Amino acid sequence: MLTVNHLTKSYDGEKMSLTDVSFSVRPGEVTVIIGPSGAGKTTILRSINQLIRDDDGEILFDDTDMRQLNRRQLRQARCRIGMIFQNYNLIEPLTAIENVLHGCLGTKSNLAGIFSMYRNREKEEALQLLQKVGLGEFAYQQCRNLSGGQKQRVGIARALMQRPKIILCDEPIASLDPKSTVTVMDILRDLAVNDGISVLINLHQVDIARKYADHVIGINNGQVVFDNRAKLLSDVAIANIYQKNVNTEGSLVHEF
Amino acid sequence: MNSDVQQINRFFSKKRFRLTLIIVILGMAYVGASIGLGFQTHSLLNVQDGIAWLIQNFIPNEASKGYWNEILQQLFRTFLVAVAATTCAAIVSLFLAIVGAKTLTPAITVSWVIRAFSSLLRNIPIVAWAMILLFSFKQNDLTGFLALFFMTLGFLTRAFMETIEDFGTEKVQALQATGATYLQVIAQGLLPEIAVALMSWILYMIENNVRDATLVGLLTGTGIGFIFNLYFKSLRYGAAGLVVLSVIILVVSVELISNLIGRLLS
Repeated sequence: MLTVNHLTKSYDGEKMSLTDVSFSVRPGEVTVIIGPSGAGKTTILRSINQLIRDDDGEILFDDTDMRQLNRRQLRQARCRIGMIFQNYNLIEPLTAIENVLHGCLGTKSNLAGIFSMYRNREKEEALQLLQKVGLGEFAYQQCRNLSGGQKQRVGIARALMQRPKIILCDEPIASLDPKSTVTVMDILRDLAVNDGISVLINLHQVDIARKYADHVIGINNGQVVFDNRAKLLSDVAIANIYQKNVNTEGSLVHEF
Repeated sequence: MNSDVQQINRFFSKKRFRLTLIIVILGMAYVGASIGLGFQTHSLLNVQDGIAWLIQNFIPNEASKGYWNEILQQLFRTFLVAVAATTCAAIVSLFLAIVGAKTLTPAITVSWVIRAFSSLLRNIPIVAWAMILLFSFKQNDLTGFLALFFMTLGFLTRAFMETIEDFGTEKVQALQATGATYLQVIAQGLLPEIAVALMSWILYMIENNVRDATLVGLLTGTGIGFIFNLYFKSLRYGAAGLVVLSVIILVVSVELISNLIGRLLS
């Protein structure tokens, strides 16, 4: 489904952000990447759909290397990879339904996308997806008037509109209150179990990872230090993932 | 404890000394400039005589009412030139700003070229623009239009560019992640986000250009500026006063309307 091999990245050419990162994501599973902040979790996630260009390695999505694609092929590959963000990244003055419809831009012609010429089938699907995440009645609300949890659910609906095989979630609950956290994580879990979509989530909350993950990848200082089933995530393993390390700024990084 | 008080006192006396120094320097600058220009400070005492003359002569009288028709006509013309120059410049600026904004530019050198270009346009005063253009385009409305157009182009390109850069790369990336094309990202993401900000810049420039158009007309011999000059030089002060009054009314109403539109948008 998705296999990452020997991924390497350095932003400044000196300090390594990722060193030889390898792991794979199985279909229909929730895979969680945990690790201290600055460990390279976001870099890994954004390399997968090439929002960040890595330096070396291999990212096999459906047996094609994302790194080798030209612009057009990359756009087509991105269509099948949904993504949600810590800050939601919705277009705030637009309504919820318009934001969800953005999910099908990748499959439309340039002009149709520019002038919002969506097919009826696409509009119906967008509305159904909003209902699926429990926001049917908010379809015509401007996104700036929604709460954080609601925005994140619109973000999920936008990702689903892409009919994705995998959804990448970059700290999806870091800005949410506990109740919204549960709602959002339940939806993501449900997508994996019932729709067979692979869900790859960056988290820094270990308890949430334990509760929702099938598989856990632990990252410390740009390296994979744990890659196993969630139930095998012992306290010792966690201590190992979050062990204090001195990063290049010289400050101690230690976070649970 | 005692040394703390000393330190605080030292801090305040230093600050007081600096303030006194600045006032002394400003005072010396004024005296120096007065001597250089031969300006006599006591002549300021007679300034009310000049103002009294102004009021006596420039108050529109019965005779100047006959000029209303011509004034309104020219006022409308000037207004249209200002609006046309602003809107045309806004369209071109939006394009330049998108290509030039650091977050969306295809190449950083393009961004620098556009930045330099808009800075050049912006920093030539409107009067200089009008006088330069006067040579090639002669005395007509086009000259005034172009002078306003170039100034506005420089200003709005810069303003739009900064608005676009505030939009940030995160939302651009979010739409790119759906497989959207460059133009789709701009049409579906960027434009809706910055529309209100763009509109308020455009309204602000229309206000500004209505004012500037009067001045430009004076130089290019068109519109309201021209008839002001004409009345003034032919000693028809009442009519000239009426022109000033009409310009004030126009500028104030444009500002009120643009405030209203701004409030409706947000």
